[in-house]
Amino acid sequence: MRRYLRLYAHFIRFSFSKAMEFRVDFFFRVGMDVFWYAIHLAFFTVLFAHIGLLGGWTFDQVLVFAAAMFFVDAVQMTVFSNNMWWLPFLVNRGDVDYYLVRPVNTLFFLSLREFAANSFLNLLLAMGILVWAVARYPDPVSAGRVALFVGLLLAGAVLHYVMTMIFIIPVFWLQSRTGLREVGWNVSRFGSRPHTIFTGWMRRIIMSVLPFAFVPSVPCAAHLESPIAAFLLHTAAVVACAFAVMLALWHAALKSYTSASS
Amino acid sequence: MHRGGRVRGSGGMSPRLFWSVASLEARTHLSYRFNFWLNALVGFLVELAIAWFLWDAVFRVAEEPTIGGRDFDGTLVYYLAVILLAKLVRGREFEGAVSHDIYEGGLNRYLVFPAPYVPFKLAQRLGSMLAPGIAQMVLFGAFAAVFFRVPEAMRPTAASALGALAAVAMASLLYFLMDAAIHMVAFWADNVWSLDVAKWFVASLLGGYMLPLSVFPDWAQRPLELLPFRFFFDFPARVLVREIGPGEWALGMALCAFWCLVCAGICRWIWRRGQLTYTGIGI
Repeated sequence: MRRYLRLYAHFIRFSFSKAMEFRVDFFFRVGMDVFWYAIHLAFFTVLFAHIGLLGGWTFDQVLVFAAAMFFVDAVQMTVFSNNMWWLPFLVNRGDVDYYLVRPVNTLFFLSLREFAANSFLNLLLAMGILVWAVARYPDPVSAGRVALFVGLLLAGAVLHYVMTMIFIIPVFWLQSRTGLREVGWNVSRFGSRPHTIFTGWMRRIIMSVLPFAFVPSVPCAAHLESPIAAFLLHTAAVVACAFAVMLALWHAALKSYTSASS
Repeated sequence: MHRGGRVRGSGGMSPRLFWSVASLEARTHLSYRFNFWLNALVGFLVELAIAWFLWDAVFRVAEEPTIGGRDFDGTLVYYLAVILLAKLVRGREFEGAVSHDIYEGGLNRYLVFPAPYVPFKLAQRLGSMLAPGIAQMVLFGAFAAVFFRVPEAMRPTAASALGALAAVAMASLLYFLMDAAIHMVAFWADNVWSLDVAKWFVASLLGGYMLPLSVFPDWAQRPLELLPFRFFFDFPARVLVREIGPGEWALGMALCAFWCLVCAGICRWIWRRGQLTYTGIGI
């Protein structure tokens, strides 16, 4: 475990030195995310000019949801996104070989080797917005509940990574340019709205088979509503199941990997 | 790369060459059929499902039967029109992008082609999106027509479809010119992907893709009318569903043409300066 932590520290150091070489991109990325935050805040503000509740949530609650979405997205962009982007190319070019022969877990290496230092500032910004949204929330919330909320959001970020991988791994068999990444990206958009607006079978799907409701809507519900135990158990079960599916797919994919580039 | 003489950036191009580039690009893109149709279908269904559930939740608690001048069915028809027409306006972003040519040194071959660069890229873009875009519009539109109740007043007519077609053509040109201007920043910046994405964020909100522009507050209506973004999605969709009369259509087309000229001017200006810094070796 310590070896892996040390290795990850090296990844981060390399990423920062690389990011400093592309300073303009660094600032463009900050600008891009600021636009993304502003657009979503404006979207909900305009909607709430016509209504008092959205899916049973007030404007203050939806603000917490939006801030949580920014936070999870920033974690995703900083920690996983670049690695997910490159994985199909490595598979198609046969470059996974270089990672298979190293004395490190291949999945760990391919998932975490590129830390996006140029998105790190956005992560700090998103954390700031999250703190602001939670602090301005009118009802008092205990420190323990806030800690649990942050824990659930991090679980949501991991779940997002797992779901993205589940859609990318088929590239080992499909030999298409990106696997099913775009399909995964499309369905992940269900997570960009409070899960309480979805009803019936759609709600059941996003709470189980395509669990994007846990990224980040369910953590918000757990934070804002009671009782919390049911949310915790549900989240743990969904993350564990999705992780098991991803690992099974990953091992099957490596077995069928031929090294031949296409 | 410093070059003597006149460099052909945005001058004239023969229609025959233009359509042969577009046709070649269309055939290339239709060869990846499975991936293309899977992504297109899932994207369409997800967008429509999110719009349906969002507005269902909104109308369930709204005090008025209409929001921004439309009831629930009308709002869904608006979204349907926007989602379908956007396929002919946006195309496949970053596909054959100007910035790639600059970064990878691929611009070299275009500089020696006996054809101007910007119209050449426009032809490529048209080819990559026209056939798939029309196919999606017809198939998904027919599918949606079965499941959606289109209010009588919003049913497209031959005249409104023709007007929308012209509006989409103009919107597509404007979108391309804005894209090209942003991508040409690649002459100086080491990555313009973020700029392109930021443009999409702004266009999706101020263009009426995320929300119908009529639901914005009154004070925002005038600026939204004057900005170029509404011509991407809101304007063509409203022409199609007969919310815009001939007079307003003509005025809108004139304003859109004005924005096309502005963006073309900016493109030309950046292109002229950018070439002086271009090295042709790629990164």
